[in-house]
Amino acid sequence: MSVFKHEYCAYTGPVTSQRSRIGVLARYGLADAWSSKITLVLFAVSMVPVVFYLVGIYLANNPIARMLILRGGPVLTINASFFLRVLTSQCWLALVLMAWIAPRLVSFDLADNALPILLSHPISRFGYVLGKFIALFLSLSLVTWIPSLLLFAYQGYTSPQPWVGDNLRVAIGLLAGSVLWIALLSIFGLALASWVKWRMMATGSIFAAVLVPAGVGGVASAILRTKWGSLLNLPIMMSQLWQRLLGVPASPRIHKELPNAAIATMLVLICLVCVVMLNARIRAREVVRG
Amino acid sequence: MGVIELDGLEVRLGGRTVLDGLTGELRGNAIGLLGPNGAGKSTLINTLLGFHEPVRGAARVFGLDTRRDRARIRQGIGYMPENDSFIGNMSGVRFVRFMAELAGLPRSEALERAHQALFYVGLGEVRYRMISTYSLGMKQLIKLAQALAHGPRLLILDEPTNGLDPMARQRMIQTIQEIRKEGSTRLLISSHLLRDIDETCDEVLILKQGRVAALRNIEEERRSHRNFIEMETVGSTAEFCERLRGLGCECASFPDGRVKLVMPDSIEARDVYVLASENNVQIRRIHRRRDSLEDIFLRAMETEPARGELVRF
Repeated sequence: MSVFKHEYCAYTGPVTSQRSRIGVLARYGLADAWSSKITLVLFAVSMVPVVFYLVGIYLANNPIARMLILRGGPVLTINASFFLRVLTSQCWLALVLMAWIAPRLVSFDLADNALPILLSHPISRFGYVLGKFIALFLSLSLVTWIPSLLLFAYQGYTSPQPWVGDNLRVAIGLLAGSVLWIALLSIFGLALASWVKWRMMATGSIFAAVLVPAGVGGVASAILRTKWGSLLNLPIMMSQLWQRLLGVPASPRIHKELPNAAIATMLVLICLVCVVMLNARIRAREVVRG
Repeated sequence: MGVIELDGLEVRLGGRTVLDGLTGELRGNAIGLLGPNGAGKSTLINTLLGFHEPVRGAARVFGLDTRRDRARIRQGIGYMPENDSFIGNMSGVRFVRFMAELAGLPRSEALERAHQALFYVGLGEVRYRMISTYSLGMKQLIKLAQALAHGPRLLILDEPTNGLDPMARQRMIQTIQEIRKEGSTRLLISSHLLRDIDETCDEVLILKQGRVAALRNIEEERRSHRNFIEMETVGSTAEFCERLRGLGCECASFPDGRVKLVMPDSIEARDVYVLASENNVQIRRIHRRRDSLEDIFLRAMETEPARGELVRF
């Protein structure tokens, strides 16, 4: 088969390994996600707080700059609470980025019924989801644990006292909290996007799936005077989890702390529901019962 | 080794048995899959691709079991589905390259083969356009290009001429004939158009109600010089046909009075006239003709296929 001869001939060259096909899906997924200008804008917006935090760390560790710029104003303390703020802001910006990217990864395939062709190749349904998951996870990493750990490293570098050794738990908390959150977001986003063919609707449904149960949980907690309604409130659950991972003392504003086991159970439950949703939707052929 | 081996294959979907004990061995270079709507053609293809699990029996492609060796089977298959199936926001060349990479081709080879496949099917000039802007015929061709790009051992085409105008259909048929002639790729073509199968295949599997109604080598059927007669009659043909069958003829009657029969060598045309006279059937026109795929199909549709029957050549 050649461009000018117009003859068919079989392919006899080398073939890549089965596992690398997942990498192909991830690579094309990343390219699709980042080909949009809106993705780039959202990424740039996600980096704005990082710049502010960077300046904050610089000022906290540089007495001359502090004197010139702050002119004797309050001094920022760089500790676990500071990095909790970093983690929280970056993780919520990651939600916005995910709500835009996840539908781009899945909805195009579903809208044009590409799954029969994709899955007729030597790639399993699990491999397909894993490829998309990797693309989303890597994209979200760029705005969560990577900038957070870079800020941590910068603080360690600029601090006049030995700082890193005493605050290693913060770095581990930043990594664990971010990875946990973006893994959850990735599977959550893919599951919801797989059920909505229209991208904008999918983006809206992702926000709704986070905010509506949170509201319902708040109402349930207020009416029943219980703390368990917070289990439907993903922002509260994750805030408490991040705070414990970074070793930040509980805020006096939070009266109803959830046990770790309850948070872990809820997160596992959310993941299982997402897996069931993906299993039902990511199929080459739909079977109509009856 | 046959291309496809079916061993009591039973597939149930949505609580309904769709394939009911299919047994047979397909060896042809180009195998046609025929049958009325709902006969199980697409389900058989999906089962061969590993999309559906058999509840009983087995299906093998080049000796590989569809349950155990799913990835290895897919490695050697190019699949062109019946309905629209593509990624609309990709350019033609990017889509075909993506599919070739998924099939295992390294990046540079995939790109090269994508360009070649697109030129081969006639989409060379529009390969940088988004697929969503393609016409229906172009969308059929892009599906064929992605199925061909990785050089499969078996090419599965599900209704390849669906929605094509006569010119595009002729071109698609020519392309399929060229691939068949080249010889390195076996073809499995599902269609409800007998003409498509007749022009491209050398073997045909006819399904009816999820069972094998017939498995024939078209070339051999054509070579067999069977004594085939088509008649136009007036009068009730039911008893007439019954008595013809009693003489050893294969007989199919139609509501408009047409009767088609295949006579064994021991029977002569005169015997048919005698029987017609005895049954008050007037023969208005009679002519001998070659046994066509249509006749094979119609005969197959008249018989009640048995479950799990081993179909022999």
